[in-house]
Amino acid sequence: MAGYIFKRFVVAILTLLLIMTITFFLMNAVPGSPFLTEKSTPEMIARANAKYGLDKPLYVQLFNYVKNYLHGDLGTSLKMQEGTAVSTIIFHQGKFTLSLKLGLYALALAVVIGIPLGCIAAYNRGKWIDGFLRVVTTVGVAVPTFVLATMLLVVFAVKLKVLSTLSGSLQDFKSYIMPVISLSFYYTCYVAKLTRTSMLDAINQDYIRTARAKGVKTRALILKHALRNSLIPVITYLGPVMAGIITGSFVVESTFSIPGLGKYFVQSVLSRDYPVIMATTVVLSALVIFMNLVVDIAYKIVDPRINLITKED
Amino acid sequence: MDAKFAKISPFQVDPDKIPDTFALTSEDFAPAGESEKAAMVEKHKSVSYWRDAWRRFRANTVSMVALGIFVLCLLFAFVGPSLIPYGYGDQYRSSQKLAPMEFSAGEKTVASLAGKCDGFYATALQPGSITALPAGDYYITVKGKTYAFTLDKTVEKSVLILNAGADDPLVLVKESDIKDGVYKNSQVIDFTDTPAAGAAELSLVRRVFPHVFGTDSAGRDLMARTMYGARVSIIIGVVAALIVLIIGSIYGAISGLAGGAVDFVMMRIVELIYSIPEVLIVLLLQVVLKDPLQAWFDAGTSAFARSMSDLGSGIVSIFITFALLYWVTMARIVRGQVLQLKAQEYVTAATALGASNGRIIRRHLLPNCVGQLVITTCLQIPSAIFLESFLSFLGLGVSAPMASLGSLCSDALETVSLYPYRLVFPGVILTIVVLTLNLVGDGLRDALDPRLKK
Repeated sequence: MAGYIFKRFVVAILTLLLIMTITFFLMNAVPGSPFLTEKSTPEMIARANAKYGLDKPLYVQLFNYVKNYLHGDLGTSLKMQEGTAVSTIIFHQGKFTLSLKLGLYALALAVVIGIPLGCIAAYNRGKWIDGFLRVVTTVGVAVPTFVLATMLLVVFAVKLKVLSTLSGSLQDFKSYIMPVISLSFYYTCYVAKLTRTSMLDAINQDYIRTARAKGVKTRALILKHALRNSLIPVITYLGPVMAGIITGSFVVESTFSIPGLGKYFVQSVLSRDYPVIMATTVVLSALVIFMNLVVDIAYKIVDPRINLITKED
Repeated sequence: MDAKFAKISPFQVDPDKIPDTFALTSEDFAPAGESEKAAMVEKHKSVSYWRDAWRRFRANTVSMVALGIFVLCLLFAFVGPSLIPYGYGDQYRSSQKLAPMEFSAGEKTVASLAGKCDGFYATALQPGSITALPAGDYYITVKGKTYAFTLDKTVEKSVLILNAGADDPLVLVKESDIKDGVYKNSQVIDFTDTPAAGAAELSLVRRVFPHVFGTDSAGRDLMARTMYGARVSIIIGVVAALIVLIIGSIYGAISGLAGGAVDFVMMRIVELIYSIPEVLIVLLLQVVLKDPLQAWFDAGTSAFARSMSDLGSGIVSIFITFALLYWVTMARIVRGQVLQLKAQEYVTAATALGASNGRIIRRHLLPNCVGQLVITTCLQIPSAIFLESFLSFLGLGVSAPMASLGSLCSDALETVSLYPYRLVFPGVILTIVVLTLNLVGDGLRDALDPRLKK
């Protein structure tokens, strides 16, 4: 187990390095300079380049990035909040916590609502409630996040006026409702669909029949015997869910005006603030990679049959 | 029986449905009739893979309904624009910010003429910033008859009315002189049969087409834009899925066939790409590719560059993004299939009989992979449409005056509290397209996956 985690950790670092390299070259492939404005003269640009080390060869710049990151230094913002350390912007201005909270609540909602819904559908297979849930989840996975988010905004904030259009820094419970629902709806539906399918698979297994023959109560049968085994595909899916929730956060944070990391990333790309782009990309990627690692370990705990070390394709 | 126990009995055989073998009558032993024989023959006819799959697909009501609705969406997107008189980029100056089915004041006045004449040409219905008919030579052709005439001076806010049966067939009326289809102060226009050289043709309409989805702040008809946007979205989805299909299947097939060290290296590359959170890179790519692509288009040296420039840099960079990052799932699936098929006895037999590699790929591997390829490609389309709409929503992707369903939603967002319908129409159509494609894909999986064959 420890060996496996170590191996995965090394792969994760390698992936992050690869992401840094790709991001670095993509950033530098954008024509023009981040300091180019209507008033700037070539001398000013040259001076700014020298100040931030942008006049050095590309490989030196990349090497410096990696070296500084290993020391925990994420650099300073060039444009958006000029001169401020990027780590301060990300971690001390509440951006990271805000996005993390939003993402984790959405993930929790997807799991807490999605899995029971899937169980209920499988348990009542063929009945009206199963049909109803099937329609809802099928439609749910076809609604883009931004359509749902804006529709919620129109109905609850503009027409009914029960919620505020600006969620701001998510101070109270009410401001969480719409962002979290719009972020997690797709995944709730997907998790419910997945749980239903794997639950039906599990219910048809021999050991369930045996348990039933031994007189195990239905509730215990579902919760104790069937659920554990049907959770495996659901857990595998949670890694992609995290990546998807981060994607969704770009949309949700812009729609509800939440000053989170997702919104900041989009802005930094559009204004070409190199150190901010690099830092947000690395932080968000690290989050996704870390979640994938957690998911793989959880996978092992749920199903001891899975041997992580000799994992095959 | 215990009530709770009975609840999960749907998974057991219902005893009522087992046929009672002792309840046979003498009729059951009668010789088979002609129709029964025919049915028997039909049932045991050898059917091709595709015919069999189509039969199973047809039996799947949900997928068939979804396919029907998707075909309607296709008609809406591809045939629709030729049926309505508005273009996706045409701006109607006096028709801004109209609600669905609403007419502007000018259109309303003109619309009252419907049915009262044989046709009319109204300046109020023309797109552009100048809604006037400049002085010049014009001609109209109606039912094989040509009316050619000359306008001495530019007319504004006027309607040209044709009444073939009247004493003065062609008259010009000011908009303000029309009320509920009755007009006064009409100015008679003299005409001849032969148009002068360089005369422009005017096409008459018999009634005013409503703005079914309303218009936007620039006075563009939203139904025309939605139709056009749906077309752009569907084309992007299909092309992106094809790109993924081509790159993914070639990569996967090489990896699976080569095996060994080649396979190992190729699959590690796939794993690395797989573990990159692609949307972060996609956003960067969009920004990076936009300007160089535009420069390449503007240079326009090759025919290829010119044809690409019609698409716009946003769409082309979406394709490039798919070509770079999204083929990995397809490559994995194809590799898995190839590995599985390679080990089959009939492939060994073909090799033993001296079949070449090319023949094995063409005759044995490809036909057996086709089902999987079709399913994965079909399910790739909605996800490509999703990504495109996501990018357009963030202000990347498709740029104005072009439209996609995502960019229409994004345009509507600024004024969503005042005009929610501008968001609802493209949003709902986007949802329907993705939903029906998902359902058709599910149906295809059930129909094409031989493991489910009964």
